[in-house]
Amino acid sequence: MIKLENISFDHCIKCTVCTMYCPVAQATHLFPGPKQSGPDAERLRIKNPELVDSSLKYCTNCKRCEIACPSNVKIAEIIQKAKWNYVKIHWFRPRDFFMSRTDLVGSITTIVSTITNFVVNLKITRAFMHIFLKIPFTRQFPPYAKGTFKKLYEKKISKTQRPFEKRVAFFHGCYINYNNHSLGQDLIRVMNAMGYGVDIVKEKCCGVPLIANGYIEKAKKNAKFNIAHLSKTETPIVSTSSSCSYALLHEYKEFLEMDNSGYISRLDYITKFIYDEFSRGNIPKMKPLGIRAAYHSPCHLERMGGVMYTLGVLKKIPGLELVILNSECCGIAGTYGFKNENYEISQAIGSALFKLIDNANPEFVITDCETCTMQIEMNTKYKVLHPVTLIAMALKE
Amino acid sequence: MIYDCVIIGGGLAGLTCGIKCAKEGLHTVIISGGMNSLHFSSGSIDLAGYTEKGAIVKKPFEYIKDLIKSNKEHPYTKIGLSSIKKSIDFFIDELASDNIPLNNNGEYNHFRVTPLGAVKPTYLSQESVYSSKGKEIIKSKGKIAILNFKGFRDYYAEQTAANIKNHPIFQDIEITVGSISLPYYHKTEKNLHEFRSIDISRIFETEKYLPRIAEEIKRAAGDAVAISLPAFIGIKNYKSIRQKLEAMTGKFIYEIPTLPPSILGLRIDHALKDRFFSYGGEYIAGEKIVSGKINKNEVESISTLNEGRLSEIKSKYYVLATGSFFSGGLQSRLEGISETIFDLATNGTNPRNKWYSKNFFDKKSHPFLNFGVVTDKNLNAKTKEGKAIKNLLCAGAIIGGYNPIKEGCGGGVAIASAYKCAELIAKDLKK
Ligand SMILES: Cc1cc2nc3c(=O)[nH]c(=O)nc-3n(C[C@H](O)[C@H](O)[C@H](O)COP(=O)(O)OP(=O)(O)OC[C@H]3O[C@@H](n4cnc5c(N)ncnc54)[C@H](O)[C@@H]3O)c2cc1C
Ligand code: SF4
Ligand code: SF4
Repeated sequence: MIKLENISFDHCIKCTVCTMYCPVAQATHLFPGPKQSGPDAERLRIKNPELVDSSLKYCTNCKRCEIACPSNVKIAEIIQKAKWNYVKIHWFRPRDFFMSRTDLVGSITTIVSTITNFVVNLKITRAFMHIFLKIPFTRQFPPYAKGTFKKLYEKKISKTQRPFEKRVAFFHGCYINYNNHSLGQDLIRVMNAMGYGVDIVKEKCCGVPLIANGYIEKAKKNAKFNIAHLSKTETPIVSTSSSCSYALLHEYKEFLEMDNSGYISRLDYITKFIYDEFSRGNIPKMKPLGIRAAYHSPCHLERMGGVMYTLGVLKKIPGLELVILNSECCGIAGTYGFKNENYEISQAIGSALFKLIDNANPEFVITDCETCTMQIEMNTKYKVLHPVTLIAMALKE
Repeated sequence: MIYDCVIIGGGLAGLTCGIKCAKEGLHTVIISGGMNSLHFSSGSIDLAGYTEKGAIVKKPFEYIKDLIKSNKEHPYTKIGLSSIKKSIDFFIDELASDNIPLNNNGEYNHFRVTPLGAVKPTYLSQESVYSSKGKEIIKSKGKIAILNFKGFRDYYAEQTAANIKNHPIFQDIEITVGSISLPYYHKTEKNLHEFRSIDISRIFETEKYLPRIAEEIKRAAGDAVAISLPAFIGIKNYKSIRQKLEAMTGKFIYEIPTLPPSILGLRIDHALKDRFFSYGGEYIAGEKIVSGKINKNEVESISTLNEGRLSEIKSKYYVLATGSFFSGGLQSRLEGISETIFDLATNGTNPRNKWYSKNFFDKKSHPFLNFGVVTDKNLNAKTKEGKAIKNLLCAGAIIGGYNPIKEGCGGGVAIASAYKCAELIAKDLKK
């Protein structure tokens, strides 16, 4: 049965504008593009689910097609649903399993982080990964941190947060928890400078990598857990990851069809929260940075309408010369670019962005997304910083 | 945080206004929900193509000068001749800096060919559509070959040829039709029938197959001196690709737009966005403005809607450039015509059966094409109570009181009104 609310495919006027802006269709003819794979094919799939074809796997779910569509067709959503709902996968896929279990892998590897980082960078390990796990030989993996951010918070940070009366809850996500504690610490410094104490709540991986790899039931489990714990809070909630924010705000409700109304009005991607505070005059004292940086807008932040807040905040940092890069996809798309079969496409998509960055000749690149960060650092010579880190750098001691 | 200028809608009007505002040093943001009508347009700018009676306008600026005297409500009258001229020069300069040179025929209009082979007057075109060399070839009655790519479905060379032969300027010219095949494109699993203009333009953009395409062209064109191709010979690099193809084939190369998506329009869209970024403008794509608060004839804020939550945006000035029905700036409902964000005054009349003519190709055109927001003499939008809103200006297809199709002036009004808005805003804010 077709649900009446799911007929956005029928609003398609067949203009092909979405395909013009699809980075994958641009990079390879193996993918027929959003119009054909989305609204066009959906008509057939409704009649006969057998008509799902394997080219859907090329879609990275970047949502650029939806941004371009003049008729509000939920193209990427149609494709994601077709990809996983019509085809039930039963066999065990070791690479996809581990890649999407960021929680499981993260909690083990952070205990033995030095060894992990050493081992995954060994040539022999890489060769093994290439052949048996189908992970590209040249991919660099984000280094794992020692211990988790959560532990660090409980042991050292939480007591420093007690004096603050105003509070925010922080959804730190896997990347801060397992790979990049310092971004978490930057967030805490910035919030403190603005008069907020930071709490953390119980959380599981937001589910983005699970959804991308077709583990929908597991994603729903995580969502249920996160919804329960976030709904219990009463303060504003912030996240420093554009993809986690997108999942918590949008995908839980629209894709996983779960009720996230218990917290949705209180949760913001961090720059929206800071933008609102800045607008009310709550701007911490900052010293001029004297830095020239190029800003790359991640796909999911664009889809959320968050770019203007990030730019608004960055423009308030004194002494930051900002080059805004023309919007291009970096090609990594979460776990997508970490797979052998997608590696070439992923690099081809990103090449336009890498060129733009080189032409801008900045000292740093700024972006909101952790996987964009990895992709850009691997393919250009620049260090990539999060907007929050820049504010933290500008804070007066 | 308060912007100097927020432009709602990123089409030809919104982008032109944004470039001028940002160039004037104003903190400018364009918010646009979905791509604009340039993606469906000819990529030529129509300034004034037809008179009230349907005759072809030869000299558009002269015509506009008279129009200003006789029609007080026309947007051109409100903009004024000097701003119209300045806006066109400005537009040409900006696009030239992004490697998309635009040509005109001095003070005269020239002709462009539509996807189905109709011949229409226009004022500004890319050099593959109008140039002095092309003019020479037509004058000397050089033979023309109209070519298509075998299997490409969004363009019909035979139909184009049949239709243009009816036009006086092509009457004594020998026109042939031919087709060329696309060299095998690596790893393709696609049938050529599935290729759209955008796919082929990307193949051109790689420049890989140019020598082979040139051979094909020479074979199919025979002794024709000029050939026309469906307009997809590259996007950013089109200028140099065209030059290379001309050098390799020794023939003059003309472009005719395909059915949408239009690569000629896309080139303009991309170039305008590049210019806007180069002046530090912020472009927010995929966001719709859903409402605005008006207090004491002034806009206080406008809002976006995300996941059921409204977020307010504040600015000193707002420009409404949301386009007409096609782009969602106007909406038709059973009860009447409405402007979608502020519910402003429109000139849409009731009853409904007076909105359109029963004959689709009626020479008198359809009344609904005239519908739009009512503005005062400075392009300030008016509320339903008839009050002008001080900080809300209108640009482009959203403005009421003119018929872009019947008068052949859509592009001109969009550029000139956008430029005028930016001038007024910059003048006020820099006081
Ligand atoms: C199909 C078509 C072909 C045309 N071809 C030509 C031609 O070849 N030559 C010519 O001179 N003229 C042509 N015209 C006339 C055309 O009206 C103008 O040339 C011009 O492109 C209009 O520009 P605009 O910026 O006013 O509107 P548009 O280009 O329509 O842009 C409006 C923009 O506003 C956005 N928008 C709408 N509502 C909202 C909202 N609530 N919030 C945020 N954004 C919003 C839309 O997504 C869109 O991007 C054509 C018109 C159409 C419809
Ligand atoms: S989500 Fe991205 S990759 Fe997928 S169809 Fe849309 S634009 Fe293409
Ligand atoms: S952009 Fe939207 S309306 Fe146009 S073809 Fe794609 S889905 Fe259909």
